[in-house]
Amino acid sequence: MSVATQAGPATARSRPAVRRRPSRRRRLIGLAFAAPAIAYLAVFQMFPMLYGLYLSFTSYSPLDRGAPRFVGLGNYAALAGSAEFLQSVGVTVQFVAEVLPFAVGIALGLALLANRRVRGIGLWRAGLFLPRIVPLTAVSLVWLWLYSPDGWFNSLLADAGLRPHTWLLDEDTALHAVAVMRVWKALGGNMVLFLAGLQAIPKTLYEAAALDGAGAWARFRHVTLPGLRPVMVYVITVNIVYLAQSFAEIFILTGGGPLGSTTTTNFLIYQQAFQNNQFGSASAMAFVLFALIFAFSFVAMRGMGRRS
Amino acid sequence: MPLTARRHVTLAVACAGVLLATACGTGGGSGTGGPGGLTVWFPGNSAPEIELVTKTLVPEFEKAHNVEVEITYVDWGQISPKLNAAFAAGTAPDVFGHGPAAAAGFVQTGRIDKLDERIAALPAEDREDLAAYLEGGKVAGVQYMIPLSGQGTLIAYREDLLTAAGLDPASPPRTWAEAYQAAQKLTVREDGAVSRAGLLLQSAKTQRVQTFLTLLGSEGGSLLTGDGRKPAWNGPEGTRALEYFARLYQGDTAVSNQLGADFANQPAAQNPLATGKAAMVMATSGQVIQIAKARPDLADKIGVMPPLEAATAKTFGGAGPGLFVNADSANKDLAWKFIEFMVSRPVSDRYAQAAGALPVRASAATGAYASEQPLLKPFVEAAPAYLGSPNVPAWVQVRDVLDKHIEQALAGKVPAAEALAAAAAEAGPLLAGE
Amino acid sequence: MRRPGALVALATATILVLMPFWWMVSMAFKPEAEVFTQEPRLLPAQPTLGNFSVALDDGNLGRAMLNFAIVALIVVVANCVFALLAGYAFAKLPFPGGGAVFLAIVSTTMVPVAVTLIPLFLITKGIPLAGGNDLLGQGGSGLLDTLAGLTLPHLIGPLNVFLARQFFLGLADELGEAGRVDGAGELTVFWRIYLPLAKPLVATVAVFAFTAVWDDFLWPLVVTGSAETQTVQLALSRFLTGGNVAYGPAMAGSVLVILPILAVFLFNQRSFIAGLSEGGVKG
Repeated sequence: MSVATQAGPATARSRPAVRRRPSRRRRLIGLAFAAPAIAYLAVFQMFPMLYGLYLSFTSYSPLDRGAPRFVGLGNYAALAGSAEFLQSVGVTVQFVAEVLPFAVGIALGLALLANRRVRGIGLWRAGLFLPRIVPLTAVSLVWLWLYSPDGWFNSLLADAGLRPHTWLLDEDTALHAVAVMRVWKALGGNMVLFLAGLQAIPKTLYEAAALDGAGAWARFRHVTLPGLRPVMVYVITVNIVYLAQSFAEIFILTGGGPLGSTTTTNFLIYQQAFQNNQFGSASAMAFVLFALIFAFSFVAMRGMGRRS
Repeated sequence: MPLTARRHVTLAVACAGVLLATACGTGGGSGTGGPGGLTVWFPGNSAPEIELVTKTLVPEFEKAHNVEVEITYVDWGQISPKLNAAFAAGTAPDVFGHGPAAAAGFVQTGRIDKLDERIAALPAEDREDLAAYLEGGKVAGVQYMIPLSGQGTLIAYREDLLTAAGLDPASPPRTWAEAYQAAQKLTVREDGAVSRAGLLLQSAKTQRVQTFLTLLGSEGGSLLTGDGRKPAWNGPEGTRALEYFARLYQGDTAVSNQLGADFANQPAAQNPLATGKAAMVMATSGQVIQIAKARPDLADKIGVMPPLEAATAKTFGGAGPGLFVNADSANKDLAWKFIEFMVSRPVSDRYAQAAGALPVRASAATGAYASEQPLLKPFVEAAPAYLGSPNVPAWVQVRDVLDKHIEQALAGKVPAAEALAAAAAEAGPLLAGE
Repeated sequence: MRRPGALVALATATILVLMPFWWMVSMAFKPEAEVFTQEPRLLPAQPTLGNFSVALDDGNLGRAMLNFAIVALIVVVANCVFALLAGYAFAKLPFPGGGAVFLAIVSTTMVPVAVTLIPLFLITKGIPLAGGNDLLGQGGSGLLDTLAGLTLPHLIGPLNVFLARQFFLGLADELGEAGRVDGAGELTVFWRIYLPLAKPLVATVAVFAFTAVWDDFLWPLVVTGSAETQTVQLALSRFLTGGNVAYGPAMAGSVLVILPILAVFLFNQRSFIAGLSEGGVKG
């Protein structure tokens, strides 16, 4: 069923035995086939990037009827000295660092469990996967209640004889609370990716390891983990890219508060652009975020590569 | 992977679900404003108000003028960004509602129309009747907004809880100092934390600036200098006001809890005053009336204090949200007709009643709604003490700056004087128009 | 049943993960007074359908679901057609500069939405001849606050082009050559020979395109103004005001929104999951 079995990385580079230079006609047809996508991506991906880069060097309020005013590196200089922006970068980094290990680690554990032959496995997998397909808006609303003074978590605390806590109004717990929800939301999707990775590991490797007398842990350490590396790199990168752009859950659960403790950079960009009408400064923030995401993903990929 | 019959069935089920929901939903949906129609945005989430406006008033207007009005209610927190985006986009509505504090900003960017001539064309009788609140819709002497109602905030209290604490509900606190002392007696603490608040002021985002304005005004101070070009909140009055506010939450003698929670937008039955989780709560007339409606058993146990004094007695209030005409509207005459309709005598009374707000017309103070609703009386009587947000172009941004620093002080991170000074330093350039 | 331990662990984890959904469904049927009780109860004492009518009526949820269905359909079809064609061209019909263009396309997958958000907003406003605009894209609102505007950032996903290329690279060139020897044109070769083999790819691209729209909140938030163009994600957030939620209607709305996709998911679980996991094995 999975495409992986038909076109895994191993076969992806297969070349025809005889390689002929395609005719001019065929090259043109190729160009025609790709043209809509190229044109679209040029207009709606590449151009906006360049336009955004230009805007980041300007001062521009959409409410004023004038055009963007060039200010050079002014926006970037202002960001370097903006406590608010620096705090948002810290919050973003902390959020990613907090969610990532759990979202990946627990998902891997669940995938190992769900990879076994137990009764009703389809049902368990579907259940674990469910949070992935529910819109973030909807789950955030539920979690807002779970965390509310009369919500489920506080009722559990009360049952344990503990005092209720206003999770989302306390500077010390708000970001953690959002992170817990995000881990929960990410588990299913990551688990499924790991499952696909596990199933792509040849059974013969395990059999060979078992013949060598390897125990369960040794098999996991020397067969499963190395076999999962490509998936692991992908999962970690995708999670970083998504998590570093957290917005909807912040919008709904905390509105960036208290004391800016949950104001992620992406949330601040939205506020700066559409609450404060500063498109230029918001664009500059976006490019800093871009650099941050790029750096994070790069480090993650390099780190994973080195361990091989 | 051929398309099996099962997948077709699934798809059909899914489509049917969507269509079913759509069919049910479109019944109550609003019509689209055609080329001759009018688009209107209202801020807020008050269910009785939305019900009245969308299901009764707008259809009446549509019938009377044979036009279509597309009306959208936007949450208070989202009205500014939504309007900004819509103005940038050129999709802003013909008429929109917003607080008086937003007026000056829209004037500066040329987004709203002057309404002086339209007002002048009204019958003299109407002009006089509306005069008191119209003042709140002016920027530099020019009328830009027509208030839909008046609003005010006062401290409401539970008489039964005061009695239980040995206080006389017939003579509630008259000063902020007395209120604090009473709050100490009314507060219930468990394990060192407040489980019932003695005195709860609005501390959610934006609302805490309004609370600060109330306290600051009572101390005899003001937010800005007379010309509106510099902050004035960082004087001794401001420090006293913010220290009072912050002290409510701090230490073993705290009398408030749930710092940052938004009580104003909670369903009335969940208001801390209704649930008994607070004995004295800052509230608007609308909230108090809604609480009494939601909990009839409490209706005669709720009292409202006149504005509390420090150096003087002031409280946040004045012209409530009002309507603006988009300067780019293609339908300005119709837009004005809609506004005229909303503040016409019977309509404005019904509107005020649904919103639980103060009627915008002076003549309504003696009308049926005002006299039959005892909880409204203190709010009408408090009118001279009302203090509104400053009408300066950068106000919304200045408010957000001030809000951020007040939050710091309330959380006990920064001393009050320091927070206000930092806010003044940050807001100074915005006010000076830099 | 050789591993009761695994079963117990799996069941526990699943139940924990599903608890929030239990509360969602339970609250959807609770009258307002029951939502805020000191001790939340797993089941509504007096179940009501009132929340559902509020969600559909006040929340205008039906319209939002229809809007979403339209937007998702357009995006899925556009991706399945154009991303596949482009991926096929990059794999099987190489043209000069194609490699560099492909690299450029792939490199955009990591660009955060925030970078292109504001420019896309301005571009959407400046689409010529739409929303009262003139030929130069001036004077009107372009495609802002329209369903077409909602589809714009998702029409062709760069990741989908990448997946398509990888997939077609894995299919033998000889298949096409055989067709060409028989005199088939390039379109026929694509349509009759390769596409029938690419059904798993179509499923993957469809799922990816769908989830791109499904997960998006920021773009609809920025680009729509009126209730007429709202999609479900935004419609749900309208039950939220200043940190407070009308939980009953919000949960009822959530249930309504989830039901159709849940049906699709449960009956096509394997292809859905296979589709989503595709990128992982490929990337």
